[in-house]
Amino acid sequence: MRTFFVSLLGIALLAAFIHIIAVLTLPYLAPKNAWARVSALSEPNRMVALPAANPSHQSLPMMAPDVRYSVCRFDLSKGAVRLSTQILDDLWLIAFYTPSGENFYAITGRELKRNRIEVIISTQNEVGVKAGASLLDEVEDLIVVDSPVREGVAVIRAPLLGPSYAAQTEAALKRSSCGRHLPGS
Amino acid sequence: MRSLLHLLLIFVVALILGLGTAWHTIEEGSALTTSHVGPWSVWRSAGKPDADPYTKAHVARAGRLPITASTALYFYANKDEKGEQLSSDCEYVIEGQPLNAAWWSLALYDGTGRLVPNKASRHSFNRTDVARRADGSFRIVLARSARPGNWLPSAKQGSLQLMLRAYGLRDATSVLDQDAATRGLPTIRKVVCQ
Repeated sequence: MRTFFVSLLGIALLAAFIHIIAVLTLPYLAPKNAWARVSALSEPNRMVALPAANPSHQSLPMMAPDVRYSVCRFDLSKGAVRLSTQILDDLWLIAFYTPSGENFYAITGRELKRNRIEVIISTQNEVGVKAGASLLDEVEDLIVVDSPVREGVAVIRAPLLGPSYAAQTEAALKRSSCGRHLPGS
Repeated sequence: MRSLLHLLLIFVVALILGLGTAWHTIEEGSALTTSHVGPWSVWRSAGKPDADPYTKAHVARAGRLPITASTALYFYANKDEKGEQLSSDCEYVIEGQPLNAAWWSLALYDGTGRLVPNKASRHSFNRTDVARRADGSFRIVLARSARPGNWLPSAKQGSLQLMLRAYGLRDATSVLDQDAATRGLPTIRKVVCQ
């Protein structure tokens, strides 16, 4: 009888341990997480307009068929990265992620109230508040995003207001860009 | 020999239990991570940097890049109002009141998460392209063959999944509250099966 209860206790403790290890390691073991998929799509610091989701192809799982996406996998190891895009609608949204899919920052068109923006992505304390402030004086459309990670992903989401908006939206996303930020240029 | 077998048995049972519960809480969610509103489930902390380990594991496994709840919410359903698996053998009526969101989109996927091929190239309805009644409410019919009004073409076979994205939800917290939400989110009612 005693052995039975000791066994049950052993099973419970071991199962709890395995459960915790599995949950904690899964984010690092999932071979097809979003970071792996985005990395396969492009070189770092390049803007890639994802093809519209269709029955035979989706760049990321369960993409919205009526949203157009553009992604930039940024790498800040050689300095800040500059993202620039048109914003055609209040619904447009730019979200920034760490490689494990944490959405550390997001800006919506509604908050921006302008139709073209430049975003400087930099690691914390690199561009610094002072530099950021002076840059902001120079170009008022500039937003400085402090990234907690050296590598990550920026995703522009452009919801379609109707099927007839697709061409115009895709064209605007194709014109958006991402690249090394060279101060003074 | 007997005690060795005993230990092995303990280990195997613990392994099954540990991995089984981990898989279930990551895939299906639990009260800790997900809210259920009628047929819809939502991972409350998806995408948040301070999310719990279950949500982080779920997001990594899903391979998606969700926006956090303050900006957008993703409602997922693979069952109807009565808790039965959505199937392409059946016809469903999805009815909803105007959602208090800047934009929303309801998209249909097959059991593996792919969009369903159809001649109309119709995979979703959203706030701007759904035909609405005078009071703003809408009715979408999910069926294999064409229906008048908002027809969302279903697959030839297999199970189905629905994803309702709500961008700029103005009362995100109240949508997660059961009573308000049952009024706010669309219902999924099975009409007939073949």
